Amino acid sequence: MAWAALAVNWLLRPKRPQVGDQRETYECGLKTQGPTWVQFRIGYFLYALIFLLFDVETIFLYPWAVKFQVLGLFAFIEMLIFIGILILGLWYAWKEGGLEWL
Amino acid sequence: MPVWELLSVELLTAFLGLGLLVLGLLVPKGQKRGLGYLAALGLVGIAALAFALREAQGVVWEGYIIDPFGTYFKLLFLFAAILTCVSSFEYIGRLGNGEGEYYALIILSTLGMMILASAGELITLYLGLELMTISFCILATYRRGDMKSAEAGIKYIILGALSSAILLYGLSLLYGSTGSTLIKDISLVVNSGGVTPLMVVGMIFLLGGFAFKMAAVPFHMWAPDVYEGAPTPVTAFLSVASKAAAFAAFLRVFFVALGDSHPLWAEVIVALTILSVVVGNLVAIPQKNIKRLLAYSSISQAGYLLLGIVAFSTLGVGAILYHSMLYVFANMGAFMVATVFYNADKSDEIQDYAGLARRSPLLAAVMLFSLLSLAGIPPLAGFVSKFYLFMAVIDQGYIWLAILAVLMSMVSVYYYLQVVKVMYLGDPPPGRPAIEVPLGVQIALACSLAVLFLFGIYPTPLTNYAFSSAAAFFH
Repeated sequence: MAWAALAVNWLLRPKRPQVGDQRETYECGLKTQGPTWVQFRIGYFLYALIFLLFDVETIFLYPWAVKFQVLGLFAFIEMLIFIGILILGLWYAWKEGGLEWL
Repeated sequence: MPVWELLSVELLTAFLGLGLLVLGLLVPKGQKRGLGYLAALGLVGIAALAFALREAQGVVWEGYIIDPFGTYFKLLFLFAAILTCVSSFEYIGRLGNGEGEYYALIILSTLGMMILASAGELITLYLGLELMTISFCILATYRRGDMKSAEAGIKYIILGALSSAILLYGLSLLYGSTGSTLIKDISLVVNSGGVTPLMVVGMIFLLGGFAFKMAAVPFHMWAPDVYEGAPTPVTAFLSVASKAAAFAAFLRVFFVALGDSHPLWAEVIVALTILSVVVGNLVAIPQKNIKRLLAYSSISQAGYLLLGIVAFSTLGVGAILYHSMLYVFANMGAFMVATVFYNADKSDEIQDYAGLARRSPLLAAVMLFSLLSLAGIPPLAGFVSKFYLFMAVIDQGYIWLAILAVLMSMVSVYYYLQVVKVMYLGDPPPGRPAIEVPLGVQIALACSLAVLFLFGIYPTPLTNYAFSSAAAFFH
């Protein structure tokens, strides 16, 4: 079905050559300056990883915080272990220089 | 039995892995050699505990099953991890980076395999699989600055992600058509004849995902390149333990959850077996690099192990357990020799092994007997285990398959003996000194050699253990 829809579209649609701005990537705001294939520093990647660490932590902390009363001591200890492992990861990243901008 | 005791092996492994990571941060650079010793000793302790708990049986929760079958595989992973650690001391010490994390990663991937072997639920299974795979991705790139190691890592990440996606898709289809992620509940649905076309599609995806981890043809493409580029101890660990873990999870999912739909997937397994045994053995012949040769040999070994799945009987499961345990020692023996040789000569080419028998009789002897055991020559253990595998398929009427496997075993003798010929009949290059083997590796080599001979001549204790575990797992 998907292929058929694409094929019918391709057959029926008007085929006009694109001119001028039509061939450019859609973009709002300013025009791009210079080539877009620039290399990014690997440092961004490390930052992204550490950001992910805390992002995931928060996702798990929210439901636990909302249901804190119901879940009780067992969940509390479990979350402590979870946060402990994450802190270990942060400590590792810190010690290995992951938080420094090279 | 309390939950703590049932889970003690996994808990201690996790604790050891995280503890080593912390110690790696505290110990100053240049003094990290001790971490490796600590890792090996810790693993020996955990293996002893797992052996003591080998009869333990219980359900931690419905999704995590402790049984003799799972514990057998955990022992296997632990043995492989111990031998890997012992053979890594010098190799990783010389790399000069990340010595602390290395052992932690090895142990965490072992933990992933343990979860895989005990998982009674699809999400838990996937969690274990990813813990294992991600650790291996990092380990494969450990030779920093080496193009081939980087290639190995990238290939393993991309193809591993692809196979994980396929497996996950299969798991979701299985969940969608049965309404449960618990293996127990899925088997109830299958028992009552509720196999839908959607479920069959799910099974095919699952098969593909598992076959990738087993490195069975046609899902083997990644294996030779990754094996060649990864650090040799990591290659050894990857080739034995991750393969065995895939078999453990496969048996749990397909024999327990999907056991009653056996006729639907049996033919596919037969095809995988034939392809793996034939392609693995034939393509191994022209290999010039010892790690690539062992990679293709491990593909063919996956084919032999699949014979046990084709048999779909207690004998078949027992034969898989028995063969995979001895495969650990034979393959680790060969790879340990390759590691020591690489440390001395910086080469993995088979032609450079010329005259190894005169430079180090121990290394040459271990390589010889490991290869002969892989080929299945009596009185080595590999003969007995292959015998059980062939027996298992003949019992089910697949005589032609057994004949094919035996013929391909003959082919394998040829390329294994090519290496032996170079080692024993070749002349050592002039000016090359004798190779010093570190004491720890000497002990590990002697242990694997002893296992290969002991269970070749007197296999009863291990066969009893393997077959009783199999009988408890699969009726």
